[in-house]
Amino acid sequence: MMLGLASMTAREIRAGLLAGEFSAIEIAREALERVEREDVRVRAFLEVSKKLALEAAARIDAAVAAGRILELGPLAGVPVAFKDNMNLVGTHTTCASKMLDGYASPYTATCVQRCLDAGCIPLGKLNMDEFAFGSSTESSAFGPTRNPWDLDRVPGGSSGGSAAAVAAGLSPLALGSDTGGSIRQPGSFCGVVAVKPTYGAVSRYGVVAFGSSLDQVGPLARTVEDAALALNVLAGHDERDCMSQDRRVDFTANLGEGVAGMRIGLVRSFMSAEGLSSEVRAKVEEAAAKLEAAGAKLEEVELPHVKAAMSAYYVLGPCEAYSNLSRFDAVRYGHRTPGCESLAEQYEASRAEGFGPEARRRIMLGCYLLSSGVYDRYYYRAQQIRTLITRDYAEAFGKVDCILAPVAPTTAFGIGEIGDPTEMYLADMFTTSINIAGNGGMSMPVGLGCESGLPVGVQLIAPAFRDENMLRVAAALEREYGAALVAPGFADERAGE
Amino acid sequence: MKTLEEVLVDWEAVIGLEVHAELTTLSTKMFCGCRIEFGAEPNVHTCPVCLGLPGALPVPNRDAIESIVLAGLATNCDIEKRSMFYRKNYMYPDMAKNYQITQGPVAFCMRGWLDLDVEGPGAKERFGLTGAKPGQTCDGVSVTEEGYRTRVGITRIHMEEDAGKMVHLGGEGGRIAGATRSLVDYNRAGTPLIELVTEPDLRTPEEARLFMQELARVYRAIGISDCSMEEGSLRCDGNVSIRRRGDVTLGTKTELKNVNSFKSLHDGLTYEIRRQAHVLEGGGSVVQETRHWDPAAKWTVAMRAKETADDYRLFPDPDLAPFDLSDEFIESVRSRLPELPGRKAQRFVDSYGLLARDARQLVEADGFADLFDGCMAVAGPRAAQLAKPVANLLINDVAAYLNERGADGMADASIRPAHLVELASAALAGEISSRQAREVLWVVLAEGRDPAGVIEERGLRQISDVGAIEAVVDAVLAENPGKVEAYRAGKTGLAGFFVGQCMKRMAGKGNPRVINEVLGSRLA
Repeated sequence: MMLGLASMTAREIRAGLLAGEFSAIEIAREALERVEREDVRVRAFLEVSKKLALEAAARIDAAVAAGRILELGPLAGVPVAFKDNMNLVGTHTTCASKMLDGYASPYTATCVQRCLDAGCIPLGKLNMDEFAFGSSTESSAFGPTRNPWDLDRVPGGSSGGSAAAVAAGLSPLALGSDTGGSIRQPGSFCGVVAVKPTYGAVSRYGVVAFGSSLDQVGPLARTVEDAALALNVLAGHDERDCMSQDRRVDFTANLGEGVAGMRIGLVRSFMSAEGLSSEVRAKVEEAAAKLEAAGAKLEEVELPHVKAAMSAYYVLGPCEAYSNLSRFDAVRYGHRTPGCESLAEQYEASRAEGFGPEARRRIMLGCYLLSSGVYDRYYYRAQQIRTLITRDYAEAFGKVDCILAPVAPTTAFGIGEIGDPTEMYLADMFTTSINIAGNGGMSMPVGLGCESGLPVGVQLIAPAFRDENMLRVAAALEREYGAALVAPGFADERAGE
Repeated sequence: MKTLEEVLVDWEAVIGLEVHAELTTLSTKMFCGCRIEFGAEPNVHTCPVCLGLPGALPVPNRDAIESIVLAGLATNCDIEKRSMFYRKNYMYPDMAKNYQITQGPVAFCMRGWLDLDVEGPGAKERFGLTGAKPGQTCDGVSVTEEGYRTRVGITRIHMEEDAGKMVHLGGEGGRIAGATRSLVDYNRAGTPLIELVTEPDLRTPEEARLFMQELARVYRAIGISDCSMEEGSLRCDGNVSIRRRGDVTLGTKTELKNVNSFKSLHDGLTYEIRRQAHVLEGGGSVVQETRHWDPAAKWTVAMRAKETADDYRLFPDPDLAPFDLSDEFIESVRSRLPELPGRKAQRFVDSYGLLARDARQLVEADGFADLFDGCMAVAGPRAAQLAKPVANLLINDVAAYLNERGADGMADASIRPAHLVELASAALAGEISSRQAREVLWVVLAEGRDPAGVIEERGLRQISDVGAIEAVVDAVLAENPGKVEAYRAGKTGLAGFFVGQCMKRMAGKGNPRVINEVLGSRLA
């Protein structure tokens, strides 16, 4: 019997399991079959963890059979897939790089472990831009992932595999990481709910670092409630990440409260930004109108320094990346060019071969920006800008509870369409400032663009450690627009019944 | 080349030290929970964090922070309430992340100092103090009875993580040159180190040596490191330059490495000062470079000069938040600060009237000061009276015993303060001679017995009874009338003969002091 998993939410899957409608092993088998059958078109998965999935399912079924239903976690029986920069013992962690091709995870990341402890069925590892450098998943050393809504288009990036897997109904939940927009922008391109929580809300331990002060893990789902359920599992202090904070709330608690009385900000400079497509602007305005109709109070807010966010981001990100990636030196693990005569030669040859062009570009950039004589002009200045942007957001959130903004300037672009790296960087123009300030942001699907017919997400931005604010607004939008759909052509036959 | 003394007539040496100490008393590494153990199988004490595996993150060890704050307080530093960890980026296989976590411009401890008492022959290295009187200030130091006292500024003490250890195979003597394979042991990687940097306040190799010794005593006293230069838990680089006397600008410095003993530091710096003077006086110029001390050849050799200056691309570690230390924390650490060696020695002088030199010897030897304090407690009201004999027993006899028994002697010997006091008091009362006291002490230490028993058993107890001794002396004088006459005529050298005769009659148990006194009065 087909369960019709593709269109089921995480909450429905767990409820069905607890109600005895189906077993975890049935869920696992169907999810694995779907990935095997459908992912040839999307290529969201780099590795399918069949054995781990079946073992996890068997454990859950054993618990159910023994009547230990109360012990089942909040994600019991829910398939979850992980971005390939997250360590999971029993799988490889390649960061979609030749450098880590074949690298077996020696330990499990905290965010992954929390999902496992919550009873999830781990489906496998998802494609991404190499080391999370990019906005299209085209820089993966293992080939691009395709957007389920249009297979000739990119799913966005860097968590393109995560967004595509959820949009194609291959997994109701996926984890991604976001350094400058890497959860939200693919969320917008693929039409799924994509949350970057406040920096420090979720442990980074075990997630291969790109920009340590910017990186944050978050969930991608098709409903706001599923995303909130996942956040309940993920958030909280981890003694292995000293930046993680001990603030735990029930993120599902206020989803139904509506937006009446909420103050929602619109950023004038975002709405008038050069490069913002008219269909995306129209969607943001439409969403604003719907929220206002639902009782929210709209206010314009100023973020005077966000215009410098992209510049600061492309200084801070590469600087931290340069240092974080220097451990890939072919000494202990990773790609090693054979036959080198000296250590220096082995470093140079292995890194030149192991890293793709975008990774090399950012490493060289960071290496230059941190060098003496240059540091003060760039890194130090970027940190000053960071302080100003953080202050801008803090001041704005003195006036509003949530900010509504575009996620990406356009809908999904074609594979191979953008060749110039700096043009690609513009995909992050509305997202980087949130990573710089550290607060939470998410992409909420609001239907299809009037010109492209492709998914559009609007960005909801919350004050630091008030991620529940944006989830509450997202839930209100979800009621207006309906839950995100599985991409056409990927729905189960049963789904239309 | 000229000797050091000759060089220092015309030239002034300027020396600064960088001292690394491993926090050997901690049980876990700086940023992970791995154990610190030396000599373990390679790579057994490792985890994703200290191996720098992708995705691993550092979490600071609170105990290590306490240790460095303790070090700062003990060396009169200001403790910075907010400091940060930085990344020092460079690629080498012993550094798994290819960056070292260290500190930036603001370290945990800033602006401290230590005072040094320079005495004995070493004090003569300081030029221009000849003829100066105690109490005078001369050339920035204060002259004392036995030498001078100088204050050495401490720029900072910061925290950093140690690297792993490389083992090179196939080359000559484990060197990297000619090696065919290199192995890395990461057991040491991530071990907390504290690095102290001094101001360029030292002027002689002797001062540098004394500074290191004093610092090692302080670190040991506060219990943060075993400070073994031989085993590498205390490491030191010396920066040295020379300038013409009277010049204010600094000369070009060289950095001295591979000094793994206090003596090497002294000898290496001495050589460098002489070498630099030789180069400059020959019309050459000193090259800024790192030089390796070769203790066998007794010279320094230039290590491969780098063509470009190192650029470590230091920046704040984004994995670690700024470290805030509360007043309560700093005060709680301060309350754990024990009495430091310098202050302890001063107390021994002030409270018990010990000589400054003896007091210092007590605090310099491992465990002696505690033992001495224990003895004084036992001595109670007689403490002032017994302080000197007890100190002498410790400095001379216990030290000699331990020296013979090896380094672990103190632990084995289980020396009881009551025994030392008993012996000292017997010697003071004249019941046994100082030679006998030593003999008894060795038996007491070796066999763990109490002194009275040993004295009794060996029949050592001296006869100090004046009446008994007078009888013996009278008998000896009566037997040797000719010699008595000769003595009175001026052959005072015969005194020894009379003492010997008395001793012989008393089977060696007569108290020589009393015998001398009685003889003196009878022959007067």
